Amino acid sequence: MSSALSSPSTFAFDDLTRDRSGHVRRRSWFDGAMRWLLPLLYLVAILPILDLVYWVARGAFPSLSLATLTANPTPGVGSGGGLYAPLMGSIAILALATAVALALGFLGGLTTAEYLDERSAGIVRVTANVMAGTPSIVLGLFGYIAFVTFFGWGPSLAAAGVTLGIFMTPYVFRATDLAYTSVPPHIREAAVGAGARPVQYLLRVASPIALPQVLSGVFLAMAIGVGETAPIYLTTTAVVLPPLGLLAPASALPLYIWSGFETGLVLPSAIALAYEAAFLLLVIVIGLNVLVRLVAARARRRLEGLFQ
Amino acid sequence: MSASQFHNFGWAFFGFDYGSWGIMTFVVGSFLTSVPALAISMLVGLGIAIASTTYLPRILAAWLDPFVDLLAGIPSIVYGLWGLLVIAPYFGTTIFPWSATHLSWIPGFAPAQFAPTPGIGTSLALAIIVLTLMILPITTLLMRDALKAVPRDLWESGLALGATPWEVTRRVALPYAKRGVWGAAFLGFGRAIGETVAVFMVIDQIERLPVNIYGGTSTMASLIIGTFDNALLTNSYGHTYLHYLAELAIVLLGITLLVNVAGRWFIRRTYTEVAGL
Repeated sequence: MSSALSSPSTFAFDDLTRDRSGHVRRRSWFDGAMRWLLPLLYLVAILPILDLVYWVARGAFPSLSLATLTANPTPGVGSGGGLYAPLMGSIAILALATAVALALGFLGGLTTAEYLDERSAGIVRVTANVMAGTPSIVLGLFGYIAFVTFFGWGPSLAAAGVTLGIFMTPYVFRATDLAYTSVPPHIREAAVGAGARPVQYLLRVASPIALPQVLSGVFLAMAIGVGETAPIYLTTTAVVLPPLGLLAPASALPLYIWSGFETGLVLPSAIALAYEAAFLLLVIVIGLNVLVRLVAARARRRLEGLFQ
Repeated sequence: MSASQFHNFGWAFFGFDYGSWGIMTFVVGSFLTSVPALAISMLVGLGIAIASTTYLPRILAAWLDPFVDLLAGIPSIVYGLWGLLVIAPYFGTTIFPWSATHLSWIPGFAPAQFAPTPGIGTSLALAIIVLTLMILPITTLLMRDALKAVPRDLWESGLALGATPWEVTRRVALPYAKRGVWGAAFLGFGRAIGETVAVFMVIDQIERLPVNIYGGTSTMASLIIGTFDNALLTNSYGHTYLHYLAELAIVLLGITLLVNVAGRWFIRRTYTEVAGL
């Protein structure tokens, strides 16, 4: 912010010999030290991650091949083979979870933004914000008690998907709420002035403006959800086959790494496969995050265009 | 006893004795990992936030900041795997022997009988470090948001009065952004205390308080995932254990709810649409 207005030079003071105590020089020196030291802290955040990506890639690449994506893991989890089952499981669980999160989060967000009065909307928003901070392990235990045992679904794709969907709901909710409330008021006034009914306003005026932002929120929720381990570990079981149905157990990439960890990660092939799963996860998560950014930037440009 | 009934463990539930269903060991374990991790990541995060808003050329910050934000999205299982396979051996063979000799005057840094220094490296210290890295992007992002919201007028007035950029940051911008910094602390703590998988993978879990930083312990979250198999037993011990974990989860949920409500009270909304904040 201030780099254009650079720190005061001590030159003028030397010239007029007014800085006899060295006070100004000291202050300026301290500022200069901070200017160089603080940016170095970026390294604390970035270097470990570069190291992480390096080691994951290094562990994954020697054995990464097309067979990794098409072969099932060999029985005896963590011992070798490919990642077809965990990948398919991850996709199935994520699809179900996204559907659940859309059903709850999108409709909830829409209702909050468009139909609730300020007071109730405030209460719902605070609840959603706080819900977004619920530890995933707590939600996982809830999923186990509610879906696996009480509803009797057993460890299954359905239990994992619904639990993960509940976990993702607040993110979708907030994106939807924010998207619809940030439609500029003059657009609504113009629509109502032109005689649009509320439904027409919602479907043909507000939604085209808001949906890109909702989409970026959905991608974000997916990026967060796909890497979650705790809720899935408690609600489904790692298996070596792709999910056979809603009530059949489904494996998942994070779950696969986890079961590899639980069985010790001793065999080189198990370690390699865990790294491959981690690498795939990283690719999926980073890809989704890039999508979030692209879609959000586009949505923002679109919204800004409306004010001109 | 059916699963829908509340199992009353009595007051021993809030005690330290795991054998008589006490949870306090794990509450303390959670705080022992989260508080140091939060302290480090607040300091580093504040430094990065100040560097980004005050010192870095704008174009450099515009490239680096999204990168830091992206780190918040890395799955915790990947952090755990990396911590276990890459960092733990390095710490166990290099860092810990060094710190045990040279830093043993710090409480908790001296080797002890049941937690000698060398080893596989998984320990309380490693859990703190992995946790620090995991919440660093979140605290950084929230504090950067707060500092960015400081009006330009205040900045320019401060500079015009002859204050250095550091002094404006320290005496004008930070007091203005105080709420955001507090919010970052609370929300970061909420994340740290609920973190499960990565912590469990590197903490070398045992169900007792840590002897020193080289030894294992367990947090509330890591106890749930680490001993969940007990709850799957179909005998009466398994049933009781499920109740125990569920009630422990309620305590954990209560703590995170309080922390998150406090955090949200400080920060009404965030301006960055990443990291799920």
